[in-house]
Amino acid sequence: MDRPIAYDKLAREDRFVRMRTRDVANAKIEQGMPPFPDLSSEASMRDRIHGILVGEMQAMEGAGRSVYDFPDAPWEFTLDMARQVWDESRHVETYLGLLDHLGGYVGEFPETTLLWRCACAEDAAARVAGVNRGLEGLACDVFNQLIHIARKMGDPVIERSVDYVLADEITHVRMGSRWLNELTRGDAERRRRAIEFQDSIDERFNLGGQRQDGHHEVVPISIAKDARRLAGFTDEEIERLVKSTQRSQVY
Amino acid sequence: MRILGGWIALTPEVDAKLLFGRHVWDCAQHADLWGKRLPELRAAAQVSEPGGPAVVAAFDLIETAERPEQTVERVTAIYRVVKPHLATVYERHLAVANPVYEPPTRRILLRCIEEERRHAAAGALVLERLFARDRASADRARLWERKLLDALGAARGVTGDVELPLVAEPATPPERASVAQDLVTPPSGFDVEAALGDLAAPLAAHRAALARGELAAVRGELGGEAPPEAVVEYARLVPPFERVEVVGVARIGRQRVVKLALAGPRGRQVLQERWTPTEAGWRIVTVEVTDSTS
Repeated sequence: MDRPIAYDKLAREDRFVRMRTRDVANAKIEQGMPPFPDLSSEASMRDRIHGILVGEMQAMEGAGRSVYDFPDAPWEFTLDMARQVWDESRHVETYLGLLDHLGGYVGEFPETTLLWRCACAEDAAARVAGVNRGLEGLACDVFNQLIHIARKMGDPVIERSVDYVLADEITHVRMGSRWLNELTRGDAERRRRAIEFQDSIDERFNLGGQRQDGHHEVVPISIAKDARRLAGFTDEEIERLVKSTQRSQVY
Repeated sequence: MRILGGWIALTPEVDAKLLFGRHVWDCAQHADLWGKRLPELRAAAQVSEPGGPAVVAAFDLIETAERPEQTVERVTAIYRVVKPHLATVYERHLAVANPVYEPPTRRILLRCIEEERRHAAAGALVLERLFARDRASADRARLWERKLLDALGAARGVTGDVELPLVAEPATPPERASVAQDLVTPPSGFDVEAALGDLAAPLAAHRAALARGELAAVRGELGGEAPPEAVVEYARLVPPFERVEVVGVARIGRQRVVKLALAGPRGRQVLQERWTPTEAGWRIVTVEVTDSTS
């Protein structure tokens, strides 16, 4: 097996329809829809849950690759990545159940692979910065909002399920914070590159400008500051993320 | 553990993918327990080395099964060969481990035996599902198992000193309930007609035209906004096709992205088309041939 593998080797059953993120967003915009599901309808809710399902699957695959790709990394790094694989596999099962709960099916919405591409970073420090801190941090924001909306909808199944998943995501971000520091100790340039990679992901995944600083009732997706602090983000890092949302790209 | 982790992304079937995902963490914990036990026995912690070059060769052989269509080989390698072999080696070690001096080792062995046997039983059930989808794959599995056991036999097992047989059946099979915790039910299929809605009828005609190789008629269904590349994509198809099956239907608002598997004498191709409803009926706006003839 190659270390790492090419991103186009990601294997899927036929039922999955894969498209470029930009093409999906454009197709939505052409129809007057927001590029990221706004949860205003049942279909939009299923779209969001399906997006998270494939995201969890790619996170599992990415963490699995981190177990394989870095045989010379510290053993405890591998152990953390293996734990993450297990967690993500349970998250996939959770979201399969939630999709079923909402009457959807696997493959109902296109799968984009931007997340997986980020998980193909060649440097372990960049990978944990980008995936564990950038993408799993984003998951904290998205899940926090989903819990809030499920509570408002009176859907305890979604509310409780996502709350359990959120607890794991905080742990994964914390792992990322730990390993970003440990793997780059004494190597300022490697650390700079890893953080730069994470910043690029934070900017790319601002969800069409929906992720913002503010309360759930006021902004579409609120930055989950408390969850992020629990996960090891500093106030300065959170402030930097808030600023990045103010200059967000569309996708 | 490392091989399973690396294979998750290379394995299409969701249930097999999740089986690997479940077991990576158990395998990591086993390795961690052994790695921590080492310094207690006056060796370096968390440092391992293969039992010899033939062991390396056997595991290199296992790793070669990395193509998407080789899930049966992957599951066979780990769940019919490696894990039953490890459990066998552990059981033999336990049988001679002194109960007074070696309880720390015995405890690790007991846990590893129980979990490896449980994993193997779960893998056997996933393998049965895979065989049900492709009957011929059972023969492939048997051949691959034999080949791997030969390679492992040449190495005299993972430790380089294992007596035959390399794999012994468990004295007591794992309980079904404990095995079930490792399995995820494969996602159910979807209702193609319901997913297509009123696109079903025009798509049926479209599929028939594709099967007959009437690509001019197919191109006529392209919408005005379809890019010129769409025509080029259709030119990559190699008709005629004996079967044109709908294997995927995704929605983007009112649009549908339909994935068709086309099987013909020249091989299998996958065609992905995005359809949009217009006043003149459904039209294709993007086309992609995502796979090619072998």
